[in-house]
Formats: sequence, C-alpha cells, structure tokens
Amino acid sequence: MSAAGHSQAMFFQARATAQVRNKDLQKALEKAKPLFVGKRAKGIAALADDGLDFAQLRAACTEIRRRVVDDLDVWLEIFEERARASGAEVLWARDGDEICRHVIDIARRNGVSKAVKSKSMLSEEAQLNEALSAAGIEPVETDLGEYIVQLAGETPSHIIAPAVHKTLAEVEALFAERHGRALQERTSVDIPLLTAEARAVLRQHFLSAEMGISGANFLIAESGSAALVTNEGNGRMVTTLPKVHVVITGIEKIVPTLEDFATLMRLLPRSATGQSISNYVSLLTGTRGVDETEGPEKTVFILVDNGRAALAGSDFADMLRCIRCGACMNHCPVYFSLGGHAYGWVYPGPMGAVLTPLYTGIENALDLPHASTGCNQCGAVCPVNIPLPSLMHRLREIQNERALRPLSERIALRAWGWLAQHPGMYRWLTRRVARYLRWLADDSGRIRVLGLAPGWTAGRDLPAPPGKTFHELYAARKRA
Amino acid sequence: MRLALFVTCLVDLMRPEVGFASLRLLEGAGCDVVVPPGQTCCGQPAFGAGNRVLATDLARQAIAQLEDYEYVVIPSGSCTDQIRNVYPQLLADDPIWAARAQALAARSYELSCFLVEVLKLEQVPGALAGSVTYHDSCKGLRGLGIKAQPRNLLASMRGMTLSEMPDCEECCGFGGAFAVRFGEVSTAIVDRKCESIAAAGADAVVGADLGCLLNIEGRLRRRGDQRTQVLHLAEVLAGTLPK
Repeated sequence: MSAAGHSQAMFFQARATAQVRNKDLQKALEKAKPLFVGKRAKGIAALADDGLDFAQLRAACTEIRRRVVDDLDVWLEIFEERARASGAEVLWARDGDEICRHVIDIARRNGVSKAVKSKSMLSEEAQLNEALSAAGIEPVETDLGEYIVQLAGETPSHIIAPAVHKTLAEVEALFAERHGRALQERTSVDIPLLTAEARAVLRQHFLSAEMGISGANFLIAESGSAALVTNEGNGRMVTTLPKVHVVITGIEKIVPTLEDFATLMRLLPRSATGQSISNYVSLLTGTRGVDETEGPEKTVFILVDNGRAALAGSDFADMLRCIRCGACMNHCPVYFSLGGHAYGWVYPGPMGAVLTPLYTGIENALDLPHASTGCNQCGAVCPVNIPLPSLMHRLREIQNERALRPLSERIALRAWGWLAQHPGMYRWLTRRVARYLRWLADDSGRIRVLGLAPGWTAGRDLPAPPGKTFHELYAARKRA
Repeated sequence: MRLALFVTCLVDLMRPEVGFASLRLLEGAGCDVVVPPGQTCCGQPAFGAGNRVLATDLARQAIAQLEDYEYVVIPSGSCTDQIRNVYPQLLADDPIWAARAQALAARSYELSCFLVEVLKLEQVPGALAGSVTYHDSCKGLRGLGIKAQPRNLLASMRGMTLSEMPDCEECCGFGGAFAVRFGEVSTAIVDRKCESIAAAGADAVVGADLGCLLNIEGRLRRRGDQRTQVLHLAEVLAGTLPK
C-alpha cells in the first residue's frame, strides 16, 4: 500500500478532538510528560559533569548529520560496499511495498514462519506486520511497548515509547485477556510482574523464530555496521538468535565514522530518555564468522527511500538530519494534549507534522503543519537543530501556493490583508468591531459566545475590550 | 531620543490601556514618543497562515512606516519577533528591502528589553502590593531571549513579590489562529497553564503578549477563577492597572 493509503492524517481535526476528550489517554499523558521533560533536562544538565557543553555538542552533531545529508549518495555507496565486504547483503527499497516484498521474499527463501521484531518505525511506514501475516509469516513485536501495541491491535503512539498512551489498568486488562489469565488489581509496584509476564511469552518466540527484523539508529559507513541503541535487551535477541537478520532503515541514517557515531551518542540517549548512555549499544557488522558461536548466518540490509531522497537538496533537507530521539514530541504542548494517534500516520508530534505531509502527500495532511502553536519548544531541544516550526511554516506556504487551503480561509485572509493595507478603512472597521465586542460582553466584561470564533469561546471567555480603540483614544488625546 | 511606538493590532482593538501604559513608561523616561499613523498589523496572521506574499507586503508597509525613527518599541514579544527575526528573512532576496528590513530589525525592541537594555531604567512609576507570577511567552523567550528583563523590572517595584509558577516557559496554547482552529486542543493546553498559575498562588499573572493574556484570562474566568488578575507588563510597570 502506498504511504498515503494508510494515513489518517486528513482526519486530524476530528481525531484530535476525540483524543482531547479521552480521559484514559489524558491520564497516561499527564503521567508521562514530566518524566520525559524532567529526564532530558537532567541528562542535558549532567553533560557538564563530563566537561561537555550542550551547545557545542549540538553544533557538532548537526554538522555530522549535515555532512551526510549533503552527500547522501556517496556515503550510501561507501556503506553498501563495506557492508557487502563484511558478508551482509544490501537491498534497496523505493517504498513500503518494496520493503514488504523484500522481507517476504527473504522469509520464503529461508523457510521462515515466524519473525521476531525489535522496534522499527520503517516497518510501520511499510505496514510490514500486516503484509507478513497475509503471507503466512507470524510477526512478533518484542519491544515491550510494541508488544503491548501489537496485542491491542494498535499502532505506536510515540517513536520511543510506543505504548505511552496506555494506562497500567489498560495493560493489565489486555494481558489478562490475551495471556488467558484472571484480571488482577495492579499498582505501579506490579509493573515488573507484568514485564516478567511479557518476557516469559517472548522468550519462546525468540527461541523459535527463524528471522529477526530490526531497525537501526545509525548505519556506520566506514565499517558497514548497523548501530542499535536500546534499553530492553530484546534488540540483542532479535539480532543474534534467529538465523536471518533483516535490518530495515531509512537511507538518511548514515553516519560517516565510528567516531561520529560516538559524538551522536552523547546526545541521542540524553535527548530521548535523559540517559547518558542506553542500556545496550550494539554495533552489528556482517554475519557470524566461521569460528564464532553467535550471530545470524545471514544479514540483509534493506535501505529505504520512501520519500527521503526527494528531500535532499529541497527546502526540507534539514529534516533528514533527524536522529529519531523523540525530544520534539516530548516537549510539544500539542502532542501532550493529543497523544500520537491523532496525527494519523507513523510519526507524531512536530516531526510528524513535517514528515507526514512530505512522505504521504501535502494534500493528504493539510491540518498537520497548522497543528502547532509556533512555540518552538521542539526546535529548542532538537539535538541536531532542525528548525521544525520553520519547516511547518514552509509547508503552510506550499499549501497556499497550491491553493490547497479552504476557500473561506483564503477569502477571509485576503479581505483582512486588504484592510491591513488600507489604514483608513482599517480604523473605521476596528472602531466598529471594538464597539460590537463591547456590546456582546456581559456585566463582568466577558464575552461567552462569539459566533465569529466559536473555537475560542467553546472553552474560554473572551475578555471584552473597553469599546474604543487605541488609535481612536490617542487621536482624541492629541486633540485635547 | 525620538522613537516610534508600534502598539500592535491586538492592543489597539482589545486593550488600548496597554498602549497608553507603554506611552507613559517611555515618556516618563524622557523619550519623545511618536505613534506613527497608518500602522495596522505586523503581518503575523498572514505569515502564520502561510501567505508569504501578504506577509511580505505587510512587512514592507511596516518598514516604510517605522524606519525613520531612532528606535521602534513594541509592547509584544511576538510582534517584535516578527519584525526582528521574520522581516529580514521574508525580504532576504529583495535587493532594496533586505537592507531596510535588517536596519529596522536592529532598532526594534520589545518594551521590557528597551527599558532595560537601551534606557537602562532602574525605577518604574508603578507600584503593586501583592504577588505576581510571570508567564514567559514563547516568541519573546525563545525568539528574542527575553527572560531576565521583565523580572528585573518587576523586582524593582516596591511591595511586589515575584512567585514563579512551575513550567513558566511552557506555551499557553494561544498560537494565533491555532486557538480558534483547534479550539479544544488550545483549551487543553491553556488548562495546564491555568493549573501552573494556580500553583504559584499569586494575586496576578503578568505577561508581555496580549494574545497569551487574553487566552489565559479567558480560560481562568471560564474555569471559575474570578480572582487572579491577568495583567500586561506595561500596565503593571506604568501603574495604570485596570480596576
């Protein structure tokens, strides 16, 4: 299916409203927000303990990623050559469909009936699980959050915390039902019990799966390796136990050298979870050697375009620097009012508001670039300095250039623009609007219903103006 | 020194007292203040909506109206951000206007910045017995680096205590058209701001952007808080508080 095919981004407005009213979701988000924000703040502050400076590191990380994005084709060729030399296979995929075809083909050629998966957002872009199931291959998500989401028949609502939208009670109910046991009363101290329960189920899958599918946080050009940054250990199992390991990543995930990778690792975990380093950092190169006892017999890289190549050299090239830490959504007031599902496609939050229109069609996600207060809390924390609000602005401009905005909006803006350029008329009208608003107000000076802007007064009053404009009063004062 | 006051369209329409408070502060400090006629809007709504052509036309209009003054002072962080940071970007490729945009940007100041950085004001006419909490609006804070200036001015006032709210740097959910387009989302965001304000327990919340203040006041009142005053920094500093 094409990327646009499974996007629900056109229904953002309705989905957002539903999510704002979803009490369970709001409870879950309320809990998560201070954790994300607080942990990152601590992690960044702790850089000083190691004699490191955030601004300097950020500039260095930005530069590394910029260097790659500027010459993406060259770095990809180097990576492909080194990866092949180490014994891995390298395949290319234009879009999600091609990812699915490659994976199913590899599975069939290797007699795979079950694939264990470590987190991969690319496989969400491709809707790989659906394709595998349809082909008779059982996909099993092994990241705890992804496992929960898969059991629930949902999609991840956050790129590093896929089940952040779920409350403890919801997970308990889900596990009881799907693991065939009685429902129990749970508090947060029981979370390790639930984790152990999932672990026991997953262990069997790790041992029986013939294929492991993972993403990669980075591809290292000089060594032809995939770098995996994880916390749960499932990534190690997925990438070493099954006989076949398939790595699915976007073509923009390249970094030139291991040293560059080390630099990026200073900021990636800190930006994501506040950790100075994740529990596991794996560098996966080639296949199991003749005298080695661990690792896959076959390693296949699937390097995916799915809209990325078109961004290189465009107004949106900055977006290709993204290292998927999630800090933008973790600091977004809009994301934390809605959760990720409202955004309608794979990537939520500010990064999604930019990527979804670019990867699924600008005309298929008209609300997303507007779903921002412009606060720039995202841009301020981005470890690779992506100007997310500016990119959203650029998308809004393209919507205008292509006449994709509603006619009523275009007419209103044009009328307002004409007035703003004709001060005499503008004054005349604002004087009347000021009086009208005053007239609408109740005794306490508040407007409770404003027909012109029902979106405002549904949840707020509008403090009424005194009835005369500044320019009117100022002119009177000067005459006096 | 001769300076222009750009009152902003919101102040003009919704809270003219903020314009007069700004005048009082600036004139009180010995400035010769002109309110250039013909000023309407800095063009933010057009820029926000993605209408670059209109935003650029309005930028040219504002530049032509304001460029003949030594300084331009604006009682709003977001309008100042538009003039300082966005105008030069909108006109970067225009051989004539690029330099004019940059020249104006360099001389345009948000009110509290101007009072502190240019006038080096240490005393303000206002007096306020009670506690206030300060909301950092986004464009002022992240676009212009306004953080200490308003607090220093507030701290200079006798009888006033500053009680910081948790998450004072968090967005209030206004965002211009966003507040109307995504009313419920905006309300959910401002709800969190209202809770922060309540946690500060201050008599008044003070800010430097009228859009944020209308949003915050509107939500506080709807939630049933009739007590917490919502004040523009200019009003507090000038001592021209609404009754």
